[in-house]
Amino acid sequence: MKVFIDPPNSLILFDLVERSGHEPLSTMALIQEKIENTEIDMPPMNVSPDDVMKGLKYAGIEVPSGVRGRLALWGPMIEEAEAAIIMEDCPYGFGCVGCHRTTLMVRYLIKKKGIPVLNVNYPNDEEEGKELVIKMKEFLEGLK
Amino acid sequence: MSAERETRIIMISPSSDITPDQIVRAIHAMGKSVTVKEACYGAVLEGKREIVRDVVTELRKLDKNAIFTKVRAYCAGDPRRCRAHHGTRPGFAQLEMEWGDLWKIQHGLECADRGEKANERKTVKKLPIDEFKKICEVK
Repeated sequence: MKVFIDPPNSLILFDLVERSGHEPLSTMALIQEKIENTEIDMPPMNVSPDDVMKGLKYAGIEVPSGVRGRLALWGPMIEEAEAAIIMEDCPYGFGCVGCHRTTLMVRYLIKKKGIPVLNVNYPNDEEEGKELVIKMKEFLEGLK
Repeated sequence: MSAERETRIIMISPSSDITPDQIVRAIHAMGKSVTVKEACYGAVLEGKREIVRDVVTELRKLDKNAIFTKVRAYCAGDPRRCRAHHGTRPGFAQLEMEWGDLWKIQHGLECADRGEKANERKTVKKLPIDEFKKICEVK
């Protein structure tokens, strides 16, 4: 199953989802597509006006461009997702830094989609690490 | 996504005895047609998708709970990212932070292998208003 991970660039979540035999939906795969497959529109990152329009599907024109830019990438990924894992209470530097509004919007989109969601807490010590791994394992095994 | 190429970051948990050098040597010893580059956190692995996944599966046998991987968007040595070409590394802060947490995940994976159950975390509940009033002695 395709599992959306939040933060979408997390190594820990990506690895744990993949270990369970599911496909993690991550920012990295999307960016690879962007820098490799598209024609050279706007080098070096190939962000084109089409991406701006994609972002408008999820957030209004008055919303800051950073939110729309992120949603242009993550919105289609959420649409594709069959389940989601969200990490809560992350420290400031964990995940995509700089826009909490995007995080709130992503969570709203996931909730609106009605897919199975697991909320896990950021592990601050080894006991919480154990809790995270075991909860994720149980959730992902249940998806099969 | 390109159907062919896959680049992966291989990261070693800080509590593991494995070194990046061992990872690179183990990959070379497999004799598969992949490119591998040693990094401070582990290695960057690149090649055809199926081969890369086979290599990762093999590599995990060294220490399955201490080796973590994720896909990397840019290929190894991409001038937009490679430091040798003065590229920026905006994702490195995230990698560094997660590297520091990998020992907790490793512990979790070991517990999960032993079949242990998760202990419920004590959640901090909101203070009922009556109790709050008692504390403040407002009554």
